[in-house]
Amino acid sequence: MIRVILYRREIKANFILFLIFAGVLTMYSVMIVMMFDPKLGDSLRMMSESMPEIFAAFGMADVGTTLLEFVAGYLYGMLFVAFPGVFIIILAGRLVAKYVDNGSMVYLLTVPKKRWSFVLTQAAVLVTYIALMVIYVTGLILITSHILFPDEMEIKEFFNLNIGLFGLLVFFAGVCFFPSCLCNDSKRATGIGAGVIIYSILMQMIAQVGEKFENLRLITPLTLFQIDNFLIGKQEAWVGCGILYVVGILFIVAGIVIFHRRDLPI
Amino acid sequence: MEHLIEIHHITKDYGRQRGVFDLSFQVKKGEVLGFLGPNGAGKTTTIRQLLGFIKPDSGSLRISGMDCFQDADKIQNYLGYLPGETAFIDSMNGMEFIQFVAKMKGMKDLGRAQELMSRFDLNPTGKIKKMSKGMKQKIGIVCAFMQDPEILILDEPTSGLDPLMQEQFVNLILQEKKRGKTILMSSHIFEEVEKTCDRAVIIRNGRLVAVENMETLRSNRKKIMEITFQTSEMASAFASKVLNVACEKNTVILNVGMELDEVIKKAAVYTIMDMNVRTQSLEEFFLHFYHHDMPSNEELFCSLRREEK
Repeated sequence: MIRVILYRREIKANFILFLIFAGVLTMYSVMIVMMFDPKLGDSLRMMSESMPEIFAAFGMADVGTTLLEFVAGYLYGMLFVAFPGVFIIILAGRLVAKYVDNGSMVYLLTVPKKRWSFVLTQAAVLVTYIALMVIYVTGLILITSHILFPDEMEIKEFFNLNIGLFGLLVFFAGVCFFPSCLCNDSKRATGIGAGVIIYSILMQMIAQVGEKFENLRLITPLTLFQIDNFLIGKQEAWVGCGILYVVGILFIVAGIVIFHRRDLPI
Repeated sequence: MEHLIEIHHITKDYGRQRGVFDLSFQVKKGEVLGFLGPNGAGKTTTIRQLLGFIKPDSGSLRISGMDCFQDADKIQNYLGYLPGETAFIDSMNGMEFIQFVAKMKGMKDLGRAQELMSRFDLNPTGKIKKMSKGMKQKIGIVCAFMQDPEILILDEPTSGLDPLMQEQFVNLILQEKKRGKTILMSSHIFEEVEKTCDRAVIIRNGRLVAVENMETLRSNRKKIMEITFQTSEMASAFASKVLNVACEKNTVILNVGMELDEVIKKAAVYTIMDMNVRTQSLEEFFLHFYHHDMPSNEELFCSLRREEK
């Protein structure tokens, strides 16, 4: 099934990349939780009122009053989507397309293992790191808010929100892993994945700015990650989230199947 | 005799006459087969199909009776491969890479890898990114041979190696041949093919040109001789007595095959100021032996002059 030696080596080789992104997310997470302090919160709200379009674009327009709403609004609307998005773009390209592009794939495939076991391992590495990232930020925010504002966080809803975030990132993973399996040129592979993610984020930003562009919501997959519904515990949130999981996994599986069968110029 | 590598009528068409077309040949058990042809002839395309990296449009390839694409994983238990373009994982150092490949192949014992490293005088502790082409080639050789596989497929194995190491490599092949290994080796260098191979398959533009015993190739190979006489009269007098010559002032250039003795005796009648002898390169040989559009003597002369400069 999964090639253990390869898995370990890839986890090790990409750990620094993970640390860099985890570091950035740590900084933002702690900062935002600290800002929940009512007075600082007021100053953020004042900033928001002074440039409403920009705050709206980043999904920070009507940030609520509870700690959960505050965190969800300032982190999950944009930062926790965009930064992990970039991480996934880089990692997915590194895991498959780069090896085909520079030819070192020869050594990864000339082993007595089926070709699909190679791509399955690489997909597992990608999903492992995404899961680690979500678990890390979940834990970090829970601990930080517990220290600074004990008993303020609504833990169940917060967990659900993170399951939803993981779904969105699995979708991103599929969108980036699929071209990585298909393309011989690693720049093109990265370009396609990055294109889809940037498009999704941009459309959502424009849609949030004003009612004029409201309909753009319908053409970005980010709409399926329904933060507001997660916060109020509405069941609809799981439908969108489920679609993201299914589509993401389908893309990953399709990548594995196609890579197993295709011609490799190595 | 049992065939370990069998290629039956494979076609892989990349368009614009690139690829391989209806190519068939076999490698017998215990044989060293040279796989020759000019650049772009389709050698690497054929080898990639043997390794199961690409599928033929039609035809079949088998190693030890197993399909090269479907059963690529099983074949790997018996196969050592040296790619034509060496590309490793740059972030590792050489030794880490060799160990990583060994682990992935499920090898426990690195004794043979050590042996090969000392044989090729390789110290693989530096970063791969900073290594010379020769160093990388040595790492590739170690990776191909360290498992002590039954079958070896080697794509231009000595490219980047200095003459001393090329000789070391020829010795290694001869030793493996004695141990009964089956080897398919593509090459540009006549000497290494001549010293190691039993037969040679020659392809051009993706099509089979000939399968020859090494003996036949050797006997058809010519020497190129350049003789400078004392006077231009002597040169033209000598030129009129032999075939395949070009004459310029007091210098004569000619292709010599089996008639070497005769030619030298004819030349010895005159006063010789200088003489150069060079063996045909593999490319020149193909051009002459298999393509009857031989270059004219003037062209030959020009190409030799160019080479000297």
